[in-house]
Amino acid sequence: MNKIILGRYIPGKSFLHRLDPRSKLVLSFLFILIIFFANNWRTYILLGIFTFFCILLSKISLGFFLKGVRPLIWLILFTVVLQIFFTRGGPTYWQFGPLSITHFGLVNGGYVFCRFVLIIFMSTLLTLTTSPLEIADALENLMLPLKKFKVPVYEISLMISIALRFVPTLMDETEKIMNAQRARGVNFGEGGLIKQLKAIVPLLIPLFVGAFNRAEDLATAMEARGYRGGEGRTKYRFHAWHKNDTLSCIIFGLLAAILLFLRSW
Amino acid sequence: MSIRFEKVNYIYQQATPFEHQALYDITLTIPTGSYTAIVGHTGSGKSTLLQHLNGLLKPVSGRIIIGDQEITSLTKNKELGTLRKHVGVVFQFPEAQLFEETVLKDIAFAPKNFGSSEQEALETARQMAKLVDLPEYVFNKSPFELSGGQMRRVAIAGVLAMKPEVLVLDEPTAGLDPKGRIEIMDMFQNLKIQQHLTIILVTHQMDDVARYADNVIVLEKGHLLANNFPEKIFSDSKWLQEHHLALPQATRFAKELQKRADSFNFSKVPLTEEELAIQLIQRINEVKQNDE
Ligand SMILES: Nc1ncnc2c1ncn2[C@@H]1O[C@H](COP(=O)(O)OP(=O)(O)OP(=O)(O)O)[C@@H](O)[C@H]1O
Ligand SMILES: [Mg+2]
Repeated sequence: MNKIILGRYIPGKSFLHRLDPRSKLVLSFLFILIIFFANNWRTYILLGIFTFFCILLSKISLGFFLKGVRPLIWLILFTVVLQIFFTRGGPTYWQFGPLSITHFGLVNGGYVFCRFVLIIFMSTLLTLTTSPLEIADALENLMLPLKKFKVPVYEISLMISIALRFVPTLMDETEKIMNAQRARGVNFGEGGLIKQLKAIVPLLIPLFVGAFNRAEDLATAMEARGYRGGEGRTKYRFHAWHKNDTLSCIIFGLLAAILLFLRSW
Repeated sequence: MSIRFEKVNYIYQQATPFEHQALYDITLTIPTGSYTAIVGHTGSGKSTLLQHLNGLLKPVSGRIIIGDQEITSLTKNKELGTLRKHVGVVFQFPEAQLFEETVLKDIAFAPKNFGSSEQEALETARQMAKLVDLPEYVFNKSPFELSGGQMRRVAIAGVLAMKPEVLVLDEPTAGLDPKGRIEIMDMFQNLKIQQHLTIILVTHQMDDVARYADNVIVLEKGHLLANNFPEKIFSDSKWLQEHHLALPQATRFAKELQKRADSFNFSKVPLTEEELAIQLIQRINEVKQNDE
């Protein structure tokens, strides 16, 4: 269970940790967007250097980011291989039926790989430096304008924060139940597919029962303490826009401008 | 099966910023057929130690020898199958492990996993359900319809059904009513006598330690503080106080009595109510004889 790094927060006091979660959320989103504008090796190198610089700034060891890639490595390789085999154009190096390895294919495969890695690194960076509650707060704040269109913003953000809050709890629970069933002779992740699927039943049922019970307890506890919906609720945490947030936006603007320039160079 | 820990260290989430060493250089022996109590504060590493007993956790360094099986950091899960059959573990709040449609099926789950036929397993389940005092009418009910105490009994029966040689209990009576607590503890005691089990009990109840255990392990912040007979552990009340450990009620009463009446001397520190009563009667008789 401890291998999952995506969606994990590491407390710290770095520049990135102290940025306003709203600016982090928006900038990460925009960064992922501009990754799709990169179209040659110069632009990818630019984005790579920028990402590396951000990682240094977060003072979190590179190992964490690599671990973030690991669970997705098969998906990435699969996509890259598809790109390599099915893209046509340029000199052909190898051909077999509908499959061929061409110059364009190799280049595109490389780009897709870079894209994946950059996206994973950047989103890992966001979750490593921003606590789940901050992310939920930021989302609520950014969605506020949608209230005009009768979107239940408070409810959505409450749902998100509760969900995020219970991820670690559920993971602990999963581990506990797995241990209890292992002690009763279940082998998780061994044997054929059918056997493995069967082994999941004694894990899932107690997990669901526990989750429903917990949800009910939580609802009761919230009502007992007077929760009546989000309208007009005051907040414990306030977010304020600082100089550093403005600075980050400016840096990002410069990055985007350079990227657009390199694109057509 | 004798159990031996040699310089066992355990670190949770090693090589991450969340790294946390939970056991430091633990060396100890748990003799075959003993009733060993593990005590210590919340977070002192009791549950962590327990999970080493059937290889759910493996030491980061050092080794554990259980019967003829050795567990080190390199031991593969495949080699642990037989060990898991011989060491039954009842976890903290074991009712979280229930999942089957009926009580009997749930109890039969472990024996089936360890190779019994459906028929045999259900027969064992029936015996175990009776052993833990479940009423007959719940046998075919869903385990989720039972009361908390009954669920606890089902979960315990589910582990007993493996017929383990070593029974490991992590606070098996936490949250039960006093009557249920005594019933369950007495049941374990009877099992131990009838089937010559080795029992390892984690508990915060010093009364249970005094009443049942013949070997006590004290942990503090992951270090082994003491491993001795209960009489020895409870005789040094100053040491206990230093480490914030409580005394059994009977012992506390005896201490209090001695403080108030200097002349009152116990030949042997009483650990249980019975011992206390016997010694008090002795004293009263002595005094009576002197008067006459
Ligand atoms: N899965 C885990 N990941 C990280 N740290 C853990 C994990 N489980 C336990 N710990 C830590 O290890 C230490 C020992 O925990 P353990 O559960 O063994 O304590 P315990 O003595 O059983 O306490 P209690 O009496 O509350 O059951 C604690 O400080 C705890 O925070
Ligand atoms: Mg514990």
